[in-house]
Amino acid sequence: MALRELASLEKYLGLKKPNKYSSRGDKKIPVLQNNNGPPLVGLVTIARHLVKEAKQPELLGEAAEDRAVVHQWLEYRVSKLDGCNKEESRTILKDLDLYLQDKVCMAGNHFTLADVLMYNGIHPLIMDLTFQEKERYMNVTRWFDHIQHRAGIRHHLPPVVVLRNRIYSAKHP
Amino acid sequence: MIKEGVQGAAAVAEEDPQAQSKKAQKKQQKEAEKAAKKAEKQAKLAGDQKTEEEDDFAKDRYGVAAMVQSQEKMDRSLVLVKDLSPARADELIWLRARVHTSRAKGKQCFLVLRQQQFNVQALVAVGDRASKQMVKFAANISKESIVDVEASVRKVDQKIESCSQQDVELHIERIFVISQAEARLPLQLEDAVRPEGEGDEEGRATVNQDTRLDNRVIDLRTTTSQAIFRLQSGVCQLFRDTLNKKGFVEIQTPKIISAASEGGANVFTVSYFKTSAYLAQSPQLYKQMCICADFDKVFCVGPVFRAEDSNTHRHLTEFVGLDIEMAFNYHYHEVIDSITDTMVQIFKGLRDNFQTEIQTVNKQFPSEPFKFLEPTLRLEYKEGLAMLREAGVEMGDEEDLSTPNEKLLGRLVKEKYDTDFYVLDKYPLAVRPFYTMPDPNDPKNSNSYDMFMRGEEILSGAQRIHDAQLLTERAMYHQIDLEKIKAYIDSFRFGAPPHGGGGIGLERVCMLYLGLHNVRQTSMFPRDPKRLTP
Repeated sequence: MALRELASLEKYLGLKKPNKYSSRGDKKIPVLQNNNGPPLVGLVTIARHLVKEAKQPELLGEAAEDRAVVHQWLEYRVSKLDGCNKEESRTILKDLDLYLQDKVCMAGNHFTLADVLMYNGIHPLIMDLTFQEKERYMNVTRWFDHIQHRAGIRHHLPPVVVLRNRIYSAKHP
Repeated sequence: MIKEGVQGAAAVAEEDPQAQSKKAQKKQQKEAEKAAKKAEKQAKLAGDQKTEEEDDFAKDRYGVAAMVQSQEKMDRSLVLVKDLSPARADELIWLRARVHTSRAKGKQCFLVLRQQQFNVQALVAVGDRASKQMVKFAANISKESIVDVEASVRKVDQKIESCSQQDVELHIERIFVISQAEARLPLQLEDAVRPEGEGDEEGRATVNQDTRLDNRVIDLRTTTSQAIFRLQSGVCQLFRDTLNKKGFVEIQTPKIISAASEGGANVFTVSYFKTSAYLAQSPQLYKQMCICADFDKVFCVGPVFRAEDSNTHRHLTEFVGLDIEMAFNYHYHEVIDSITDTMVQIFKGLRDNFQTEIQTVNKQFPSEPFKFLEPTLRLEYKEGLAMLREAGVEMGDEEDLSTPNEKLLGRLVKEKYDTDFYVLDKYPLAVRPFYTMPDPNDPKNSNSYDMFMRGEEILSGAQRIHDAQLLTERAMYHQIDLEKIKAYIDSFRFGAPPHGGGGIGLERVCMLYLGLHNVRQTSMFPRDPKRLTP
């Protein structure tokens, strides 16, 4: 899964030559054999490396504050989102919904690597939602729809239909 | 009495002196003394009571009345609680009601007297009309007992918020218990009418549905139940009135039948002397036969049985079917129009005449008011599918709507057209019963329709095949034993007009109109795979 994700990230970043990855351990942690140095281990580490490779540092955040926020969400992705059960996923969606209430992207107004990785991580959760739930986590759905329609992001993942109108009233869920 | 107690204890001690230690002996003696004191106290109390009773000047103003065995025809008119208003102030009246709650406070006792969904505050106070004993008696009447009360009506300065009669209260002069309720009730009425969710917040009890249904008689006394079933009666009445005006004839059909109308899978089998019979799953065949017998437009209100083993919020094994069948001239949309108009008349009638009931139910189960369009919205199945696909639902062209999709479509329709009631026309032929008329323009479609309220199906109907030849073909295609439905097919051999119709579930209509969540709430004594009693 993670390998596929990295492959599509490479394509998005416009890297010409695809890297070769292997995975390690029960959790299939991705490993990248680096030509000039020790191997890179872990989704976030490799992803950051790829971004630098592609010379698009703005994807990691421009201001110091943004960089911290991006890093925070990258950590969130691998520590909280990956491998969460159904019950936890509802708490995550609820928290995210609140967080995204006044934001376009994960790190405020600018599209960053955090959006890419969070999109990939949350995709299976969103696929499972009913229309009523998608409406309940409206801000997450809006952000998700925005990201999935960004050129080059979606790749192998199936599109999720998002309604633009509210069909369940707020008063009687 | 006192002496005996002491002697008895002593005697026991003497009989077996070795077995008992000194300590035990002492203990026994102490107990005996205690018992003696208690007896003394009781005797004194009894004496007091006696003198009190003798003192009671109001003793013929209260009590438990003799059982009503129709001994006498009393010339006494009982006033209804709902008629109590300031207009009757200072009148002395009699009324019969239940004791809803009672609360004693020193020399006063407040009662809330309930009659159906109405209640009024009543007061017994020590004075020249009532004695201390009378107040005590009133306070001790168990909840839900039925009492006859003579009282004067008094206006109150401050509205009584907790009662339906807010402007008056009753000053009780006489009170007699006509029927005493057992002190312990299986459920409390206040708990049963508490709005969903509110109980959790305040840490108060709510009654779950099974407990309600197990004690249905008490549950039916709640204001919510009273309102629901008054409204349900209204639905039947409006249904009859509207159809009568349209020239329909009410018919009665047998419920014990020899063959299932829609394949034998979901019917109850009953033993019928030396053979077996079925309980009708709809009056389908009979109402059609009436059409062939020139009744032209018929309807039928009666029980319908379904042996489906489904335990959902909207399935019952026995429910009341409101069935319509009518001959039409050229197009089955004449039938749809007639049925939708009937439904609209019912909705309007409920909206105009049952507002109190609707609001009473809303207090416990909040829901948005029911919306409908005039003329009723009619969508084709294809359009419905297109709407669902647009929302990302994957479905085959000839697939039946699943319940979640049905509900989703209801939501989409509500969003787009702002109506809770609509017709879905032209169902795929494959998902309908054998007597459904195929669509002349597309053999995969049929002239059939469903009607939906708040996204749930309430009516299934179609143009029926009135040609014996085609009917036989379709029956054979569905692998139905022709022998068993011979009488049915034969009725079309001697000239049958084109006709169509549909059947509505009364309980579902009430449930969805009121926006309730379980069909058992609108069935007085529900029957499902797990419930046969009460």
